[in-house]
Amino acid sequence: MNDPDHVKSKLDAVGYLVDDGLAMAMFLAMRLGKPLLLEGEPGVGKTAAARALSMALETPLIRLQCYEGLTAGEALYEWNYQRQLLAIRLAESRHETLTDADLFTAEFLQDRPILRAVRHQGPTPPVLLIDEIDRADDEFEALLFEFLGEAAITVPELGTFTALRPPVVVLTSNRSRDLHDALRRRCLYHWIEYPAPVRAAEIVRRSVPGAAEPLIRSATEFVGRVRGLELDKAPGLAETIDWVSALSALGVADLTDAAVTGTLGTIAKTPDDRVAVASAVPQENP
Amino acid sequence: MLLRGTDRAALAVAFVDRLRHAGVPTGLTETGDFVHALEAGPMLTLDTLYWTARISLVRRQPDLAPFDKVFAAVFADAPPLPFIREAIAPAARRDDDVQVPVPADTDEVTDGGGLPWATLPPAVEASETNDGLAIPDRRPSALAVLAELPFDDLDPTQTELLGEALRATLTHWPTRRTRRHAANPSGRRIALRPTLARARRTGWEPVELVREKALDRPRRAVLLCDVSESMRAQATAYLHLMRAFTLVADAEVFAFATTLTRLTPALRHASAAQAVARAGELVTDRFGGTRIATNVAALLASHHGNALRGALVIVASDGWDSDPPDRMAAAMARLRRRAHRVLWLNPRAGAPGYAPRVAGMAAALPFCDRLLPAATFADLTRAAHLLQALSTRQVARSREARSGS
Repeated sequence: MNDPDHVKSKLDAVGYLVDDGLAMAMFLAMRLGKPLLLEGEPGVGKTAAARALSMALETPLIRLQCYEGLTAGEALYEWNYQRQLLAIRLAESRHETLTDADLFTAEFLQDRPILRAVRHQGPTPPVLLIDEIDRADDEFEALLFEFLGEAAITVPELGTFTALRPPVVVLTSNRSRDLHDALRRRCLYHWIEYPAPVRAAEIVRRSVPGAAEPLIRSATEFVGRVRGLELDKAPGLAETIDWVSALSALGVADLTDAAVTGTLGTIAKTPDDRVAVASAVPQENP
Repeated sequence: MLLRGTDRAALAVAFVDRLRHAGVPTGLTETGDFVHALEAGPMLTLDTLYWTARISLVRRQPDLAPFDKVFAAVFADAPPLPFIREAIAPAARRDDDVQVPVPADTDEVTDGGGLPWATLPPAVEASETNDGLAIPDRRPSALAVLAELPFDDLDPTQTELLGEALRATLTHWPTRRTRRHAANPSGRRIALRPTLARARRTGWEPVELVREKALDRPRRAVLLCDVSESMRAQATAYLHLMRAFTLVADAEVFAFATTLTRLTPALRHASAAQAVARAGELVTDRFGGTRIATNVAALLASHHGNALRGALVIVASDGWDSDPPDRMAAAMARLRRRAHRVLWLNPRAGAPGYAPRVAGMAAALPFCDRLLPAATFADLTRAAHLLQALSTRQVARSREARSGS
């Protein structure tokens, strides 16, 4: 892809709409070969962006979901201990002597997502999504530095694996924890805003092809308004898409319909929010 | 096309220099990225240049606003910025940290009876009658006397001294089990990697099993301090309490009066006096009215709200709230559901005959595990000890049963 507009049209073709900022961010990430750190409110399409990118590039998406206690064994690589023990028994029965070099070879190495992305064989580099990095603990961030900086992973017993074609790396974060500056320094950064109602309507139209045009417009406008209320969890784009799908599945034509109340569970996720959102629903004029 | 024939490196360095003056921490890596990004394609419009610069130079969301200002001043038609850091309000630099003020130093009370020199704090309790014959009641140290004094009677140095003493008493912080494992002989799980490494010594026969156990970490604490007018006397002392928690337990601390300010980064400073002074500068609405419920709700809704999950939450306030009590009850109920324990420190609770009759306090009380007095440093130390006692589950449960009865 040779310029941001090209990125935009390619993503458009797979049904993901991006604005200038995100298109530029993806273009620069690929051109400079740097990881891209995406932040934004929940439900603005951070994970979807990585998925769409892999579809546009026609490469596999390798996903690593982060959680507390994530270690090198789950993220980078692991030795296949069971097979190593079997190999030891086998050598014993044949009266052979084993050395380190016999046991710590590539055949006993198990790829985990990041090493898999580094060792990926194919015409195009894969897209590696490191999702919700803020959920992992700080120790895990340090594990990533070598990979993020050099697209390489060192296995002490074997040596360093360097990617032939560095994978496109997308990290996402919900800011539940402040990421270390060393991690931020190695990445390009983009903050995704909630899209404006017009663009949101455009995105919903793509995601829910069956929905009626006036319904989409009024629903996205309504969600934009609801975000201004004092809510525990403001509805994101993902919730809007769910809601419009629900409404069109029920055959609801506009928001004054009585059936709307039953679908509010798709955008309001706590009892308090439900009350607040329900009171904001437009009433039918008598 | 913009910037035709420009020295990209010089442009980038000059622009980054302006950003740094505006308080955006921009390093060499970012500058290099910017130069490479400028090479990546022609800058056809100002928009392209904007996104190129923003994506390669800015690394965190709070820096976006100052970046926009600098960009507008340099490349767009906005009036140029004065070239000094102070020209940009500190509020603009960190706008995800909600801003609230705390009082400056209380008026200096010099020890020494009005004489122009300062004396050491007395190690004996001041006697009621000045007949000179009574045997003074000796205390173990000057600090023990000071710790019993109300906060108003302390000068800044004494407050600082007591703050440090308080910090030193926080040693056994409550812990929680994490999902991370480390080698530990009393663990049950076998750590395969070190076991196999150990087996090398015994001809690859795993004779010695290495076991691992889940690690314990200090449980996160979140401290919310009231710095409104009614809490003026306690404000500085509470800042010391907040600092002690930040340093020992990695706590998140917030001050509030009408709005919420995050003080965690400011209070991490190595020098207690400087940390407290910096925190004092940050809080801009100190000694105003109080809106406890609004601020608790704001904290729950912000992205720091996730820090409350499974945390020890300590609210320090006298409970005077200008929000209606039902809002307080709703906010506290949500806080209670998210937190591990909720403790309320009230400077008035130690007074004889105190009853939580203030509407805000009465509404919040059903959602608190304990209500503790906090009028002196001795009170704060006792509260800290009680917190540390919450580390084992049995203790916590028995306390709950007692406070429930």
